[in-house]
Amino acid sequence: MNTRVADGLGLIARLVLGAVFLVAGGLKVTTPEALAKATQAYQVLPHDLAAYVGYALPTIEIVLGLLLVLGLFTRISAAITSLLLVAFIIGIAQAWERGLTIDCGCFGGGGAVSAEDTSYLPRILEDLGLLACGLWLSWRPTSFLSLDRLLFGAGASDPTS
Amino acid sequence: MAKKASAAQTVRQAKIEAARKNTGSGANKIVVGAIVLIVAIIGVVGAVVVAQQNKQARVGTSTAVPAAAGAMGEGFVANKDVTLVAGAPTLDVYEDFQCPACAQFEQVMGATIDDLASQGKVKLVYHLKTIIDANMGTTHSLTMANAALCAADAGKWQPFHDDVFANQPATEGQGWTDAQTKGFAEKAGISGSALDTWSTCVEERTYAKYVESTEDASGKAGITGTPTVLLGGEKVDFQQVSTPDALVQAVAAATK
Repeated sequence: MNTRVADGLGLIARLVLGAVFLVAGGLKVTTPEALAKATQAYQVLPHDLAAYVGYALPTIEIVLGLLLVLGLFTRISAAITSLLLVAFIIGIAQAWERGLTIDCGCFGGGGAVSAEDTSYLPRILEDLGLLACGLWLSWRPTSFLSLDRLLFGAGASDPTS
Repeated sequence: MAKKASAAQTVRQAKIEAARKNTGSGANKIVVGAIVLIVAIIGVVGAVVVAQQNKQARVGTSTAVPAAAGAMGEGFVANKDVTLVAGAPTLDVYEDFQCPACAQFEQVMGATIDDLASQGKVKLVYHLKTIIDANMGTTHSLTMANAALCAADAGKWQPFHDDVFANQPATEGQGWTDAQTKGFAEKAGISGSALDTWSTCVEERTYAKYVESTEDASGKAGITGTPTVLLGGEKVDFQQVSTPDALVQAVAAATK
């Protein structure tokens, strides 16, 4: 693929993935208890551990979102983000499979909802789209307008170039 | 041909040198990486610690359990003094004072549930939840749950509880003023020294930790939505049991 096109795609992937994580983290960071309960509602992690994950996750999302938007340590940020997305997809899928009726809590809220208010498939598709961005950046992290390029020079973070 | 090759080689050499120069004069990746990592760790650990501290500050330190609740995490038995009819089932009600759907539920079923409880046809157990507090970052659910249990100490749980739901603020999360809350107590019939005791109980958040414990215990049991009602341990489906009559019938059917 043309390098300029690929770098352009990289920039778009960074901005989309980074912006979604920034927004998702930002919306939840002021109400940590809500996410603690939302995480517990998935009934995967031990109850108390789930609360801590709920407390920590918004900040982690904000940090990853910032790094992606700025294009700093793109490859490692994208890889961690992809792993998180895989975990989210598994979490939602298992809730669906087990017949739990919960809100994903992705952008705040969460917990039990009535069966007709669940939206498992759209959330999974959303996350798959984001995962595509994350995987692309993990594979080819160089892009336009990145701090990686500014600070460390062209291709510094991309051994494949 | 040979000339071309060497020209290409020169360009390549220049590129390599440029790359080297870039790496040499650029920022140190390890230093930048370490800074980012430290900031990230401080941020994440800080968020967890602050959330944990806020939770502790919210619930205070009083470990009192209401007389009508057996222990931390267990529901509050609203009709403990009523002699139950033989084989009366337990009606577990999971509610959040701020939850609009709970107010609707109370509007439709409240009076019937009060009757069933006072006639001893059910053992009525309330599990107070604070989901809206978590979702909206408020403390009104917790504060009001504590105030209601303080009213229970004065023997006025049911009127206080019913009045709060009847006077839920129009906007979810808006909560009640202190004066309004005191008004609920007075209207429930708490006065004189009992009112002073109630006020102290509210100020000291005597039962806040207990309320947090019922929130936690019910969440652990998978009850994360309100209102949830269990009759004899079975979840009541409001699509089927949609009227007070249907509830009375369901209770009769569950009486053994």
